[in-house]
Amino acid sequence: MIAAARDMFQRWRGSGRYAAAVPPMDGVLGPNQLIEEAPLLLETEAPDNLVADGDLFLFSTGNRVMRLGPAGPDAAPETFAKFEHPVSALALAADGALAVGLDSGAIHVKGGPHDGTVLHELGGRDIVCPTELLFDKAGSLLVALGSQQNPPSRWRHDLMEKNASGSVWRLDLASGEPSCIADGLAWPAGMLAGHDGQLTVSESWRNRLVDVCPGTKPKVSLSDLPGYPGRLSPASDGGAWLSVFAPRSQLVEFVLREDDYRCTMMAEVEPDLWIAPSLTAAQSFLEPMQLGGLKQLGVLKPWAPTRSYGLAIGLDCKGMPRASFHSRADGTRHGITSALEIDGRLLLASKGGNAIVSITLDEHGAAR
Amino acid sequence: MATSETYARWRTRLVPDHIVGEILSKNWIDNAIPVFMLVLAICVFGSIIPNFFLFGNLTDEGREFGELALVVLGMTVVLLAGGIDLSVGSTFALANFVTLALINWFDWPAGLAIGCALLAGALVGLLNGFLIGYLRLRAFLTTLVTLIVVRAIVDTLVLSYSSKVVVPLGYSAFWEYLSYEDVYGVPVAFIVAAVLAVAAHVFLTRLRPGWRILAVGGSRRSAYNAGLPVRRIVAGTYVLSGVLAAAGGVFYASRLGAATATTGVGLEVAALTAAVLGGVSLGGGRGSVTKALLGAATVLVISNSLIQMGLRSGTNTLALGVVLLVAVAIDVKWLKNRFKLLSRVYVSPAYFRLPPRPDATEGSGTPYALNDRLRDVELIGLGEIDAAEDPILDIDDHLDFGNRQGDIIRYFGPDHKRSEVYAHVGGMPLGMAFDKAGDLVCCVAGMGVYKIARETREVIKLTDETNRSWLSIIDDSRLRLPDDLDIAPDGRIYFSEATVRFDMHEWMVDALESRGNGRIICHDPRDGSTRTVLSGIRFPNGICLAHDGKSILYASTWSCTVERFWLEGEKKGRTETVIGNLPGYPDNINRASDGNYWMALVGMRTPTFDLALRKPGFRRRMVQQLAQDEWLFPQMNVGCVVKFNERGEVIDCLWDRRGVNHPMITSCNEHRGYLYLGGIVNNRVGRYRIEGADPDFTNQGSYWGSGK
Repeated sequence: MIAAARDMFQRWRGSGRYAAAVPPMDGVLGPNQLIEEAPLLLETEAPDNLVADGDLFLFSTGNRVMRLGPAGPDAAPETFAKFEHPVSALALAADGALAVGLDSGAIHVKGGPHDGTVLHELGGRDIVCPTELLFDKAGSLLVALGSQQNPPSRWRHDLMEKNASGSVWRLDLASGEPSCIADGLAWPAGMLAGHDGQLTVSESWRNRLVDVCPGTKPKVSLSDLPGYPGRLSPASDGGAWLSVFAPRSQLVEFVLREDDYRCTMMAEVEPDLWIAPSLTAAQSFLEPMQLGGLKQLGVLKPWAPTRSYGLAIGLDCKGMPRASFHSRADGTRHGITSALEIDGRLLLASKGGNAIVSITLDEHGAAR
Repeated sequence: MATSETYARWRTRLVPDHIVGEILSKNWIDNAIPVFMLVLAICVFGSIIPNFFLFGNLTDEGREFGELALVVLGMTVVLLAGGIDLSVGSTFALANFVTLALINWFDWPAGLAIGCALLAGALVGLLNGFLIGYLRLRAFLTTLVTLIVVRAIVDTLVLSYSSKVVVPLGYSAFWEYLSYEDVYGVPVAFIVAAVLAVAAHVFLTRLRPGWRILAVGGSRRSAYNAGLPVRRIVAGTYVLSGVLAAAGGVFYASRLGAATATTGVGLEVAALTAAVLGGVSLGGGRGSVTKALLGAATVLVISNSLIQMGLRSGTNTLALGVVLLVAVAIDVKWLKNRFKLLSRVYVSPAYFRLPPRPDATEGSGTPYALNDRLRDVELIGLGEIDAAEDPILDIDDHLDFGNRQGDIIRYFGPDHKRSEVYAHVGGMPLGMAFDKAGDLVCCVAGMGVYKIARETREVIKLTDETNRSWLSIIDDSRLRLPDDLDIAPDGRIYFSEATVRFDMHEWMVDALESRGNGRIICHDPRDGSTRTVLSGIRFPNGICLAHDGKSILYASTWSCTVERFWLEGEKKGRTETVIGNLPGYPDNINRASDGNYWMALVGMRTPTFDLALRKPGFRRRMVQQLAQDEWLFPQMNVGCVVKFNERGEVIDCLWDRRGVNHPMITSCNEHRGYLYLGGIVNNRVGRYRIEGADPDFTNQGSYWGSGK
């Protein structure tokens, strides 16, 4: 009774559970401009899905999967594979099999013993939104389905619709037998296989990382992130790299609570112009602006409220943040969707900034 | 239209939400709770007790009220200076005894006896004042001791002489008059209390000693540092309290003519309850005579009603104690939360639906189509300038504009490399124009309309107020945010006041309200009069006299329209829309050399903000729950300038699409073939070469002929 009354009061006041507060970026997440100032490795349209291939690495841009050597800016990427639809997820197995998730809602396997496999459903459930793929040591394919309502390209819709219909699956390619590891997730966008066989999943819309295990409830391993966590990739010392593809903002949290405004906006306004997170820095004069984002004396302040941001977080072996790399509100290398550590360098794909940048790491996993 | 939207529209039309905040911002709102308490007490007891409103009852209550009010006034003065006087009850009893003894026993003249009684009260007060004011003892303990000591004296006297003092030896007409007569049914005690209350009000609000008492109560240290004789003032308040308590005792004596051991017992609690219930702060410095009287009336109604209901006397004290507790709690909470509440409810967004946005995207084929022609402008004073809202050029090519420090800066022509402070105005100068004599007339935020004489550079106030509108709750006679002005051929100055509800630094809040808070005002220098011409406009901003001098054009920023107001001709006094639907928010308007008009768009409309205008509840909650930096706002990180003709057709449009040099352009001024761009949050003035423009055109020449 008292709890219910308090809940109503807090809803009216916008306090407590209904406060539009977001966690501050301080401590390890204190701001810097390491991504904004990092050397450019490659300028390309909306790069995503960095995957190591020996000394080389693969990435996706639009419908294509490309391969690039470590030679630097002079090296030209070669087309590795091409598909009918935009590539949304990528995984490479030790035996050379390439698993590709497409925005149209399909998973293709190329090369390896199961070459030519095409999946449209898993355990009776349609594949709508393959957000991430991963081969585990046993050779089975782990699949993260972000949502049952929206394909990966409509991630903004899924957030603003407040969906939580994502799931994580394990698929034995030999037998074709799928098993559900976790369900009811709010946009699982990244997966990381731990040494002891546990699986960590980033749950974007709930701003947290969870350890999932079949038959048990997901266990929160890192919560209250200041952004929407995306892909996870292993670091050389046993830790991990977490890409945070968009920042949380008080205004967006507020709009998410304002159902009347939110629904009208989704019905009447183009998605790019919504009050919603974005991968790209402001482009159009029709995009929403917040008062703190007004240029003062000709300068946009780096701490201005923003819809887009560039952030990658280094996690230690226990899953706690130990380093962070930023491109702030006044920058353009926003929408970091993928991170990959190769040879003491950290490659970051800025999907919103159309760039892959390379940061040299020191022995502690921080920028040198 | 959705149901919620229809509801929002009608609510805006029918319910004046904004007046709640305006009432709360008034100083007299502090009296609201005491008035409410009094009305509540009267209603409750009036309905319970029969004959509550009977005339005889009221007369009796009037006498008692007079006595109590005098004591409460004394208590209030002490509280205002930051002290407390618990000895009022004993002083009251002492004065009662002294009066009766001198008149009945010693048969002194009534006037002299009363004088002595008041003197006795003053002496008790002086003792208190000396101990507390000069020896710096604690007010609470000191007056508690005085209470006990004086009470003991009175008790001893009453024990020995009570029978002697009650039987009058002689007859005094004056004493009889004081005791029994009314003036048209109003008891003398009440009249005396009323007169004293008026005097006390004047004393506290209009006279120097009264102000000093409030200053000492408000901040003792500041008052001391300001050179006030704090000790003497504090001591004085206790003397005043003693005299007033004694006066109460005199009237008590005249009413009952008896001296008993219970006279004035518990009076200090009643007086304290009355003062605090009325809203006199226990902390000092805040309170008034009105509050004290309201509290006294409430306490009297409660205690008398309880007696009439036949409850035991102990209940009465208990009830007063409870009321005192509640009053203190309210006092603390109200003081702490009043401004929080005000800031929460003052902003009151209105429903406003703009017509669909004209397409301004690149390649849309409309006159507004996006381009980047303002990208490479020449820059003047980059990094030296702060907030050039309306740069203007004079006939000698000097460039003048205001800054945030309250100066008018002049960049010398023709190259605009060197600068000087042309004049110091004191407030932030906004819109400017030259009058016929070549003097610079400018709107100054928060101050009014000022003129800087051309020869002497003397800053002259033209006007800082207009007529007060009858139904406005906030005082709208003072100019709060004069924005832009222009001067008619006959010398009359027409200027816009963007909003009457917010100050300069809160102008953006007015965008979230989108209520018609602004007005157009006319100042006539011939007779010095200032009158409001048009009101209820959504942020009237730029003003420009039409080329033929027969009408003025003004921009209504949040409405995205340009209107024309006719000064003469057959449509004189009428308003008509020139541009009905802009893709952005219009700011200053100025004449172009080809007979058209330049207008700056300070920001562009966005679909999300247009939608928010249809959701007043959304905006209200946003203002309440989010920090200001997080508020949704129109897009102002682009620069856009349009040119339109007399018919309101847009014929050209210049953009700085990324806002590299000129985000948020507030003004554009044509001068000798160039367009000068200013922005209120920018640090530069831009100079754009206009193709094919008249190289001799100047604004001053256009208005007053090239001879000037």
